[in-house]
Amino acid sequence: MVEFFIGIFLATLITALFTTRLYRLLLWYSLNSMSLGLLALILGGQFEDRAMIISGIITLIVKAMGIPYFLKYLSERLSLNRQISPNIKIQHSIILIPAILVFTFYLAEPISHMVQGNSNYVAISISSLFLSLLLMMEHTNIAPKIIGFLSMENALFLLGTTATGGMPMLVELGIFFDLLMAIVVVNLLLKNEEEVEGDA
Amino acid sequence: MIFYITTIIIMVLIAPILLSFIKMVKMYLLFKRPISILQGYKDVSKLITKETIISKEASDITRIAPFLVLSPLLLVLFFLPPATSGAFYVSFVDAFTITGLITLSTFFLMLLGLDSASSFGGLGSSREAFISALVEPAMILTIFSVSMMANNLGVAQAGVNLAKEFPSNHMASFLFAGISFFILLIAENGRIPVDNPETHLELTMVHEAMILDITGFYLALIESAASIKFVIFASLFASLFMPFGLDLNPWLSILLFVAKLFFVALLVALIEVNTAKLRLFKVPNLLGIAIVFAFLSLITFYVLGA
Repeated sequence: MVEFFIGIFLATLITALFTTRLYRLLLWYSLNSMSLGLLALILGGQFEDRAMIISGIITLIVKAMGIPYFLKYLSERLSLNRQISPNIKIQHSIILIPAILVFTFYLAEPISHMVQGNSNYVAISISSLFLSLLLMMEHTNIAPKIIGFLSMENALFLLGTTATGGMPMLVELGIFFDLLMAIVVVNLLLKNEEEVEGDA
Repeated sequence: MIFYITTIIIMVLIAPILLSFIKMVKMYLLFKRPISILQGYKDVSKLITKETIISKEASDITRIAPFLVLSPLLLVLFFLPPATSGAFYVSFVDAFTITGLITLSTFFLMLLGLDSASSFGGLGSSREAFISALVEPAMILTIFSVSMMANNLGVAQAGVNLAKEFPSNHMASFLFAGISFFILLIAENGRIPVDNPETHLELTMVHEAMILDITGFYLALIESAASIKFVIFASLFASLFMPFGLDLNPWLSILLFVAKLFFVALLVALIEVNTAKLRLFKVPNLLGIAIVFAFLSLITFYVLGA
C-alpha cells in the first residue's frame, strides 16, 4: 500500500510538469499532498507513532486543501494569468524527465545503504526533489514557481517521514509554520508583481 | 472449454453495448435524455438492411478490406487472458502477436480510407498512421514491464500469473504501467482527448474520415470492429491491471469480469466529459506522457525493485 501511494506521489508530480493550466496544476499539487498525508497516516499506523499521524492529518488539512484553495482564491482576486506554458518544450521534457529519474535513482544508491528503512523511498524522494526543481525552472510565471517550491517541501517531508522513521514533531510543526509564513510572503510578492505588471 | 467459449461469446455480444453505455453516461452527465443501452444493436441492424453503395473509383480493396479489418480483431479475442481461473487459455501467444494483429486491422482500415480516392480518406489515414506510430513505443515498454512483473511474456499466462500472485511489492511500477496503458487505450480507440468519434468536422475527425464513403453492410462490419477493439483493450486492462476475483465460482467471476469492463467504460466516459479534444499536433505530448510513465515503470522495477 505504501508503494502505491509513493507511486501516486511521483505520478502526480510528473503530470504537473506537463500541465499548462494553473487550476489543473493546483489540483495535481493537492493530489500530491493528499498522497503524502495518507502515506504519513499509514506509516504512523505501522510504527504506532502518534506524532506522525498528527502531522499526516495536518498535511491533509493544510497542504491538500488549505493551500491550493488559498492560492486559487488569490489567483482569482489578482486575476493572474491562468495559462502557464512551460519554457522547456514538452518534446525535451520527455527526454529530460527519464534522464533525471535514472540519474537520481543511481545517485541514491550509495546513500540507501545507510538508511534503516526501505531504501526505495529515499531514491523516490530525491528524484521528486529534482523534478520539483525542474518545475520551478521551466516556468517564468510566479504561480507555478510557488507550486514548485511547495512540491519541493513535499519531497523533503517524504524524505523525512520515510528515511528517518519520522522526524521529531517539533521540527515538522516548525516546517508547517515556515510554510504558512512563506504563503503570506508569497501573497505580498504576487500583489507586487501585479502592480509592476499593471504599471508596465 | 465451456467457460472459454462463453467468455468470447459474451465479449462479442457486449461490445456494442459498452460503446452505447459510454454514450449514455456522457449524455446523462450533460443533462441530455440518454440513448438506450441497446443503441449499438439498433444501429447495426439498421445498417445491415440498407443498400451497400461502392464508389466508382474504388478498387477491390473496398470489397475485401472490411472483412480484413474485423477478422484479426476476432482472432485476438481467442488469445486474451481468461476471466476465471479454471478456464482454458492460450498461453504461448505473446504481446507482439496481439499488437501485430491489431495493427494489421488498422493497416486495412487505412487502405480502405485511401482506396475511396476522396480527400477525406487520405487525411484520416495519414492521421491514423501518425497516432498508431506514436502508440507503438509506449505499448511495447508497458507490456514489457507488465511481463517482468508477471514473469512471463505470454499475455494470457501473464494475466493468470498476476491473478495468482499479485505483485504487491511492485505497486509503484504497476501503477505507472496502468496509467500508461490507460492513455494507450484512449489513443488506440480514438476516444476524446485524441479523436472525437461523434463529429464529422474535418478538422477533428480521424476514424470517421476513413469510413466516410463506406455504407450499408460494410459500415456495419467496420462499426462492430471498432466496438470489438474497445472490448479487447478493456479486457486487457481488466485482466492485467485489475487481477482479482478469478477464484470465485466460475459464473460469478465471469459476471465480475463483465462488471470490470463496464467500470473501464465508465472511466473512459468520465474522462471524455471532463476533457476537451486535443489539437492533432498536441497528441504527441499526451503519448509522450504515456512513454514517460512506461519508461518510469520499467526503471522503477529494475533499479529500485519497487
